Amino acid sequence: MIGYAPGRSVVHRAHPYTPLVIASGLLLVAFAVRSPLAVWTVVAAALLFAAVAGVLGPVLRPAALLALPTWALLTVLHGLLGGPPHVAVGPLAFSVQGGERALVFGGRLAAILLAFLTALATVSPARLVEAMTVRGVRFGRIYLLVSTLTVVPRLRDRARRIIDAQQCRGLRLGGSPLARVRALGPLVVPLILSALAEVDEQALALDVRGASVDGARTPLETPEDHAADRAVRWGVLVLVVAAYAAKFLGRAP
Amino acid sequence: MTLRDLVVVRLGVAVNLVIGQVAAALLLPVYLDTIGTVLVAALVGWRAAIVAGLTSQVLNAVLSGNFTWLPFGLVQVVIALYAALAARLGAFRRLATAVPAGLLLGAVAASTSAPISYFLFGGVTAGGVTAVTTVLRALGAPLAVAVAAASYTTDLLDKTLVFALVAVVLRSLPRQMAARFPMLAR
Repeated sequence: MIGYAPGRSVVHRAHPYTPLVIASGLLLVAFAVRSPLAVWTVVAAALLFAAVAGVLGPVLRPAALLALPTWALLTVLHGLLGGPPHVAVGPLAFSVQGGERALVFGGRLAAILLAFLTALATVSPARLVEAMTVRGVRFGRIYLLVSTLTVVPRLRDRARRIIDAQQCRGLRLGGSPLARVRALGPLVVPLILSALAEVDEQALALDVRGASVDGARTPLETPEDHAADRAVRWGVLVLVVAAYAAKFLGRAP
Repeated sequence: MTLRDLVVVRLGVAVNLVIGQVAAALLLPVYLDTIGTVLVAALVGWRAAIVAGLTSQVLNAVLSGNFTWLPFGLVQVVIALYAALAARLGAFRRLATAVPAGLLLGAVAASTSAPISYFLFGGVTAGGVTAVTTVLRALGAPLAVAVAAASYTTDLLDKTLVFALVAVVLRSLPRQMAARFPMLAR
């Protein structure tokens, strides 16, 4: 499952910015470190983050589904097709350096997936909107991030209906590559034109709801930003700065 | 950005996220996931197009769970800037100019995405491109060359189709609707 999973863990109750900062910090540190051991330590930290949030189970499955194909390709590209020296693993010759590189890249991927899927599972979209409103984030940015998610299923449905309708009118989706490229026009053009036709109506609807009014907005339920939240966020920032300072001084683990 | 621009940006983001469904229905080896960014660049301008591109990248990661796509947001920024410039130079007025401009964008986009793919992810990213990389590597090409060649192969076709489709969409706009986008008159 990908998405918000309601819960009562300390991460769920934290300010919505805190899990997002932790996830971003893990991503940045994963790219700052170089050795397989250091990268997989970051993976362990991401696993701990998911465990503390109580979403290890729901997060592990999609993370594994997303990571496994990439790990397989990394093993082939860097391990089997990598340069010398090689070690024999059964009937296969496995590149030592390539294998290390695959471990580093695969670890970074795992850390990013685990960290952000955990943030996604613990940050309630409604609380995030409230937190952004309190921080004075402009309406446009909040609208783009949240409202687009509601439009996507509608547009997907419309795309499906257009595909069906054009097929009823005799459009063939198969055939040669050129025929398939030609079929793009009758499918894409009506989809975009129909969406563009609604622009003025939607802008008017937003306007009458006061979206164009500047000034502070009052959130219904302000998420609390405790001292512990702020301490965690500052701690992550210090960790990231230290990791990149070490990287640029050539002392990254 | 006006409210109307904001609605167009949202439309561009939604198109970026949904259009892959059409490409998949036709079994075409392209993503077309920048068509909304290019459309917004032509209708509203570069700032709105950058917002559309970056928002698409973030939401794509959120909806798919694959957050490794986030660094490729840089490619969306490059595409937004290039598409706005192309629109200003009138590249979308005819297919004969849109196609070569799209081809050039393919080269620019590949030159931006290949280093991200190579340095950050060891050349392993989205399925189709990585399959080409693996085949080229198996044929003996160095990894950097294989990653670059795979990016160019897919991006040249993808961005040419994107520019051609946007040109067709803009030409198909009813006059009344087109008149509401001042950028089109330039």
